[in-house]
Amino acid sequence: MFTLNSASAPCRRLISKRAVRALATEVPAQAAAPSEASKSKAKVPINAAVILNRSPFLTKTPTPFERAYYAYQARIRRALHNPFPYDFYFKQGSLLETRFNMEERKRERKAFGPDFASEDYSSAESAEAMAAVEMLKQQESEGQEFAPRTNKADTEQDLTSLDRQGQRNLYLLLQEEEGSGRKRWRFPQGDVEKGELLHQAAQRDLHDECGANMDTWVVSRNPIGVHRPAADSASQPTFFFKAHILAGQVQLQSSRISSFAWLTKEEIQKHTDAEYWEGVKDMLSDY
Amino acid sequence: MASAVRNRLGSVTRFGRAPPPSKKLRIDKHSGLPRPHVGNLIVRDFAPCRLEEHYHTTLADDLMYLTYKHEHLPRPPPRQIRLTYDSNDPYTKNRYNPPVGGSQAGKKLPPPSSPSNVVQLQRVSVHTFLRDAITNKGSLLPLIAAMRSLAGETLKGGGRHSSQGIQIVRAKKSVGTWKLRPGIPIAVKFDLTGPAMYDFLANVTEFVLPRIRDFRGLQMPAPSASPNSASAVGGVVSFGLPPEALGYFPQIEVNQDSYPKMYGLHIHCITNAEGLGAQNQARALLSGFQLPFLKK
Repeated sequence: MFTLNSASAPCRRLISKRAVRALATEVPAQAAAPSEASKSKAKVPINAAVILNRSPFLTKTPTPFERAYYAYQARIRRALHNPFPYDFYFKQGSLLETRFNMEERKRERKAFGPDFASEDYSSAESAEAMAAVEMLKQQESEGQEFAPRTNKADTEQDLTSLDRQGQRNLYLLLQEEEGSGRKRWRFPQGDVEKGELLHQAAQRDLHDECGANMDTWVVSRNPIGVHRPAADSASQPTFFFKAHILAGQVQLQSSRISSFAWLTKEEIQKHTDAEYWEGVKDMLSDY
Repeated sequence: MASAVRNRLGSVTRFGRAPPPSKKLRIDKHSGLPRPHVGNLIVRDFAPCRLEEHYHTTLADDLMYLTYKHEHLPRPPPRQIRLTYDSNDPYTKNRYNPPVGGSQAGKKLPPPSSPSNVVQLQRVSVHTFLRDAITNKGSLLPLIAAMRSLAGETLKGGGRHSSQGIQIVRAKKSVGTWKLRPGIPIAVKFDLTGPAMYDFLANVTEFVLPRIRDFRGLQMPAPSASPNSASAVGGVVSFGLPPEALGYFPQIEVNQDSYPKMYGLHIHCITNAEGLGAQNQARALLSGFQLPFLKK
């Protein structure tokens, strides 16, 4: 999950310290003469890519083992807890107190078995109290409904939706058509121009490929990792930056990109080729 | 797999029937009550914690990238600063021997960035000083009650051995103008760790801060403030809440009339960050939990 060393070593080699320092204090390129401006458009032999992340917005569903563990711990805690001061929190004989007592008895029986705290509601008074509590419950729960933990995007398996897989980290992948007609999935990426900071290049490349209809935040100026293609391939080393999507959605800008998808880590492995996957897998979250 | 487990065990969360007691329980000497045959009962987490999960799924990665400082060479060994006295001299042998030039505590560098020392919340400490308690220590009682419902913790309550509950703070010094004498109880404090700490923080950011009138954010120190001060290198973020804010906590709000008055709070969020820039790291962490900060 964490990749520090792989990012730092090539960074040092490819961007000399002097070049970075010169950029930090340089006058913006617009002020320069046209001949110099065209010179600054020259490309640097590296790429910048963005790992655009949609964070989980639902808590993880506990596994049966976790649920059993939590129930067991809650049972011990219930057995050992200090007595609850009823008279401090409830007015004596009030409806709220009756409701709390009934619910508490239910919880006790759930924790310690059906024999525990058996209730006796045979008398008319108790039946009346129960009816009143039931009515209060209906009044309070009116118009309240829990949102479901799976939604339409999950059932329809819509990979382009940002609502899918609410419990997982999702990442944006683009499908690019190469010259040979072959299609391959990759993260949004692009060139780095001479005189441009790497993290700014990453943001610009994301904007160029995925449109302006997104609020994004690049987390750090440091690259989080690097992918170096095989020695015989023509492609260049790619530096990755982590970013979050806060609002909006992708609008594809280039004809070379045929589609996009929001994928979990395991799905990325299925979509990408083995060599690319080996380079990027440690930058992705397992959660 | 899950359904197979459920079929075999019935429900995984429900308790079936208690086993019949095999032998007579011992009677506790002090309470006279039967004592179960179990030794050291320790209660662990009993529910998943939303903010803690948010930290592990999202914040930990982001904070590592945000606070990462690249060091391409190993660090030089620390400069040997001469001590004030000759440590070999028998006359000054066991004497406190500070370095020349004063304490270097504020200049200590943070440890090298690594995945194992990403900034993380360790403890939240809350305390309240009550001036009335100098003359009347009984006035601490409603404060203790309020703190109990705020913390939900008592001494070793619920089988948690680490729980200290509500602690009473006693005066250390004698201050004539305030009529303060050493040893008298004047304040109350409690410490929270683990899920209780995250739940308290969630209550502060979701129920309390949005309802405080004219609240815009927690003031950060001025840009000109010293980066070497004890607070800047300590990794602790502290802030205070006014007395009316106590009434906005849901566990107090439900029966606010039961308390004779409201009390202000001092809250310290203690993280594992240390060295230069530690407080900035701690603020980065807390803003990930939706605590707003304001530039001075």
